Amino acid sequence: MWMLSALPGRGPAHLQRPLLGPASHLGILRPAMTAHSFALPVIIFTTFWGLIGIAGPWFVPKGPNRGVIITMLVATAVCCYLFWLIAILAQLNPLFGPQLKNETIWYVRFLWE
Amino acid sequence: MGSLFRSETMCLAQLFLQSGTAYECLSALGEKGLVQFRDLNQNISTFQRKFVGEVKRCEELERILVYLVQEINRADIPLPEGETSPPAPPLKQVLEMQEQLQKLEVELREVTKNKEKLRKNLLELIEYTHMLRVTQTFVKRNVEFEPTYEEFPSLESDSLLDYSCMQRLGAKLGFVSGLINQGKVEAFEKMLWRVCKGYTIVSYAELDESLEDPETGEVIKWYVFLISFWGEQIGHKVKKICDCYHCHVYPYPNTAEERREIQEGLNTRIQDLYTVLHKTEDYLRQVLCKAAESVYSRVIQVKKMKAIYHMLNMCSFDVTNKCLIAEVWCPEADLQDLRRALEEGSRESGATIPSFMNIIPTKETPPTRIRTNKFTEGFQNIVDAYGVGSYREVNPALFTIITFPFLFAVMFGDFGHGFVMFLFALLLVLNENHPRLNQSQEIMRMFFNGRYILLLMGLFSVYTGLIYNDCFSKSVNLFGSGWNVSAMYTSSHPPAERKKMVLWNDSVVRHNSILQLDPSVPGVFQGPYPLGIDPIWNLATNRLTFLNSFKMKMSVILGIIHMTFGVILGIFNHLHFRKKFNIYLVSIPELLFMLCIFGYLIFMIFYKWLVFSAETSRVAPSILIEFINMFLFPTSKTNGLYTGQEYVQRVLLVVTALSVPVLFLGKPLFLLWLHNGRSCFGVNRSGYTLIRKDSEEEVSLLGNQDVEEGNHQVEDGCREMACEEFNFGEILMTQVIHSIEYCLGCISNTASYLRLWALSLAHAQLSDVLWAMLMRVGLRVDTTYGVLLLLPVIALFAVLTIFILLIMEGLSAFLHAIRLHWVEFQNKFYVGAGTKFVPFSFSLLSSKFNNDDSVA
Repeated sequence: MWMLSALPGRGPAHLQRPLLGPASHLGILRPAMTAHSFALPVIIFTTFWGLIGIAGPWFVPKGPNRGVIITMLVATAVCCYLFWLIAILAQLNPLFGPQLKNETIWYVRFLWE
Repeated sequence: MGSLFRSETMCLAQLFLQSGTAYECLSALGEKGLVQFRDLNQNISTFQRKFVGEVKRCEELERILVYLVQEINRADIPLPEGETSPPAPPLKQVLEMQEQLQKLEVELREVTKNKEKLRKNLLELIEYTHMLRVTQTFVKRNVEFEPTYEEFPSLESDSLLDYSCMQRLGAKLGFVSGLINQGKVEAFEKMLWRVCKGYTIVSYAELDESLEDPETGEVIKWYVFLISFWGEQIGHKVKKICDCYHCHVYPYPNTAEERREIQEGLNTRIQDLYTVLHKTEDYLRQVLCKAAESVYSRVIQVKKMKAIYHMLNMCSFDVTNKCLIAEVWCPEADLQDLRRALEEGSRESGATIPSFMNIIPTKETPPTRIRTNKFTEGFQNIVDAYGVGSYREVNPALFTIITFPFLFAVMFGDFGHGFVMFLFALLLVLNENHPRLNQSQEIMRMFFNGRYILLLMGLFSVYTGLIYNDCFSKSVNLFGSGWNVSAMYTSSHPPAERKKMVLWNDSVVRHNSILQLDPSVPGVFQGPYPLGIDPIWNLATNRLTFLNSFKMKMSVILGIIHMTFGVILGIFNHLHFRKKFNIYLVSIPELLFMLCIFGYLIFMIFYKWLVFSAETSRVAPSILIEFINMFLFPTSKTNGLYTGQEYVQRVLLVVTALSVPVLFLGKPLFLLWLHNGRSCFGVNRSGYTLIRKDSEEEVSLLGNQDVEEGNHQVEDGCREMACEEFNFGEILMTQVIHSIEYCLGCISNTASYLRLWALSLAHAQLSDVLWAMLMRVGLRVDTTYGVLLLLPVIALFAVLTIFILLIMEGLSAFLHAIRLHWVEFQNKFYVGAGTKFVPFSFSLLSSKFNNDDSVA
């Protein structure tokens, strides 16, 4: 799919790398902190909101409010899925990176990685 | 879809009420709240209607009840308010109730009057005793030496007394004694001195206890005074001055025995009065307690009775004058209930001929009736505040249930604030049956009525706060950031690759205060954060650059989708009103216009997100410039987004340009063609034969030729032929205005949706400032005495969060979300020119004591 080919093109080793401890980043070992895949969240969220928006309406009990509840489920699913999708697509291929102060760089380097 | 999608079908029914059963039938109808009455006697003034006498009687009863309630409240007796409201009293009981209430009122007034008189008397006696006691100390004489003081013989014949006369009469002193208000003592004394010029001796003393003034009822301080004067003229003057200053004058005893006698007499009288007063008060209290038990149900009953008579006044009599005719609007779904209510009413009054109903066809537009429950009512009110929907058009409230809280949340997006709002709304919802919440005043009542709206707003705000990664202005790092700082160091890369990139080492980091990560360096960016915005952006100084771009694009995308949805809802309206030509001539050109321009914009946004990355960031075109160039056809070509962009854009522009004239002229020309070309299509008007012969209203009914699109009985689209003239000019003008409004509106409304970005930016910045100014200052202080400082800081933080961020920003986002719905969304399809269905229902009467509204 052409969308997946738009993934950041790094080396093959960056996907699904096991998390190493915080102090093992020294040396020329490529730090493998948190490599996020793109496909997994997409699948998870699409199925989640798909269940709510497409499968949910079948399970609403009959009653005077059935139409309202179905509309609410579908609208919620559409709105929330769209919102999440926009957020993740906007960060998929960043054109520039965050500008950090040197204190923050030192902090992030030693505490997050 | 449920009945919330469209308003219900209504029909006009005629009720034939036998005069004996009319009252009971209306009582049954009022309990159920099914129908709306039409006023058939509009040209008759209120005072000439049939049941005016009964209404006056009800008002008299109401007046008595108000007086009763006042007295009960004054005596501080608790008024129980019953849970269920009693039905309207049957006619037989009304007379009895009236007599009872009138008797009660007369009795109450008498007893209160007596009580007042007794109290006044008592006060006067008490004052007299005080005066006697105090003045005893003024006159210091030996007991055996007391001469008798006589009053002056009246010498009215001699108006002028000279001093020689007085000397001859001997030193005879007169006394005036009494009590005077504390504030007036000095003025009184001065006046006495000026007028009597030293021929009086005034002595006064203050009373220790404050007594109640019998006239005004206030408790004030009194002064006891004793004026001894010499001469009769002086006496008159003194008495006049005392009158002027409203002194309470009491006769001064001449001898000590007289004084003692008077005092004893006074004491016994006071004791008697106390007992009588107590007994009266007890009796009054008893009467009021007994009345208080039933006064609540009486009030409700009288209100219901009055409402029934108001409705009866709207009915007209038929020719035989034995039967009342009422015209009501009734939802078709409730016709069965209406029949049953009429039967019930007839049965209760025991009439031989039951009342019945009959449906009349009509061309008038019925009122709009949408059934709501306690959850959907709030959202329906939001839509109705803009305009009640026209009869049978699509109701935007169904979709507003979700889109309104969602757009609010986009503007409010903060996890912590949203959670607090959700908790507050949950509190309101869980306690909605608490009686005190039902009766609170204006502002609290508004919050209470909107509790479900608040609940959903809070819930969605939690979600958007999660996506914006903003919790009280701090980000949460749940999955680990996708940005890797260590990868920017030279030590992380093999020497072969280092030469192409600008990398850091420790000295670079130490000497530069700000450094930017470069996503084109391998290993720096490791994938998008799976849920929302990456937490590293919260630490970045160029955070807003990234967020602004993201939020602006998001606002535009959401806005265009919202508006397109509005146009699609318009298609449903056209389908329902059987005007298919509207779909082809209006809705499709509108959709094409919107999608070719703004849909393409969305496409460009998504394309740029997916295709351009850090390696190509130097050549990544600005979407705004590309969009503008789409219309301007500049000579210097920039690198486009994709190959073939020119041709695609040209095609889209051609489609747009073609759809504009169709939008402007399509519908008027089509209607003109219909009017001229299809002249004899046999429009059937057989459905409108007159059935009723008796009432004059039928003429007025037919006279209202509605050009509205509300009549669903016409099969084809030639309804305009049925009315007086086919006004081509007017139709053309309307359509041109609509089209211009639409086309220009597309652009301005899309820009208007940028307020989603603006408000969320404002909220985030306010939140950030609050944290930086308060909590950071509090948290930075050293631990020794820092705890003492931290507590007030946290309190101030909480208070300011609630007032500024929750209430002020919440109201602001609420307002803007409403504006987006009312203007940008609804003007794509909503007409909103209907009237609301207000049924005759007793539940709409206020059940409180303070409000006396009449159901007109």
